[in-house]
Amino acid sequence: MNMTTTKNANKEAAIQRENEVQNHNYSTQLEPEQPRVVRPVADIHETKEGATVLVDLPGVNHKSLDVNVDNDVLTIEGHVDLQTPDDLNPTFMDVRAGKFSRKFTLSAELDSSKIDAHLKDGVLKLVIPRSEKHKPRKVEVKAA
Amino acid sequence: MISNMLRFSPSLFEGLDEVFAPSFSTVTPRRNQQPYYPQVNMGVTDKSVEIYLFAPGMNADELDVTLEKNLLSISGNREADELDDNESLSRRERFIGKFKRTIALPETVDPDKTEAIYRDGILHINVAKKEEVRPHQIKVNV
Repeated sequence: MNMTTTKNANKEAAIQRENEVQNHNYSTQLEPEQPRVVRPVADIHETKEGATVLVDLPGVNHKSLDVNVDNDVLTIEGHVDLQTPDDLNPTFMDVRAGKFSRKFTLSAELDSSKIDAHLKDGVLKLVIPRSEKHKPRKVEVKAA
Repeated sequence: MISNMLRFSPSLFEGLDEVFAPSFSTVTPRRNQQPYYPQVNMGVTDKSVEIYLFAPGMNADELDVTLEKNLLSISGNREADELDDNESLSRRERFIGKFKRTIALPETVDPDKTEAIYRDGILHINVAKKEEVRPHQIKVNV
C-alpha cells in the first residue's frame, strides 16, 4: 500500500464526485492541492569522456524506475514504492507526490545509445559518454 | 527597458537549464530551489508510529537515530561526490552537508520498541505505541 498515492487517489476521486454534484468551493479545505508529480533534484558532472548525472529518487527501486531516451530527450520516471501498513493514518507529510519525473535534452556531442545507469540507495547515476568524434584529441605536431 | 531585460535573463537561463552539453562547463554551478533534506512523512496505526525519512544516497551506518522521551532525532552527513581532476560540476541541486531533524512523537510511545530500516534511500522508523494507549475491545456483558 502506497501512502502517498492512495491519499492522492482518494482526494482525486473525492474531487470528481464533488464536481459532478455541484461546484464546490475548496477555499475552506485544510490541505491545498499539491502537484502529484515531483521534479527530482539532480547534479551534473562533466568530464572529457562525457557527462555523469546523479538524480535523487528516494523510494524508487529497480522495478519502479524507467529511464528512456527518445532521440535527444532523456526521460527519468520513478514511482515511490513506500510499503506502509494498511491501517496507517498519515499525520504529517512533506512528500505528497508518489511519482518523480524529469526530462533532459542531451547535447549532440553525447552518445545516447551508450548510457550506463545504476540505482543505489535512491540515487540514480547515469554515465553518458561523449560520442567518439567529439572526444577531445591531441594533435601530434610533427617536426619539419 | 532595462528592467525588462533583467527580468528576461533569468527565464532565459531557466530555458537552457534542462539542456546540458559539455560545452556549458563554464557556467557557474547554481543552486536551484530545492526541498529541504531530508523530507519526512509520518503516520500512526493502532499499534505504532511510522516515520519515513526521505534520505537518498546515505550509508545506513552514517545515520544517527536517537529517541529520548518522545523526541526522535535523526542526523547525518551527506558528503559531496569526489570529482576527478578533469571533472567539472555544471549543476548542483542535490543537498550536501550535515543535517538533523527532530520530530516530536505522541507521548505514548514505547522507546524500547523501535526499529529502523534503510532501504532505497528511505529510512523507515517504527516506534511501538505503549500498550495502554492501544485501542482495546471492550466486552459487553449481558
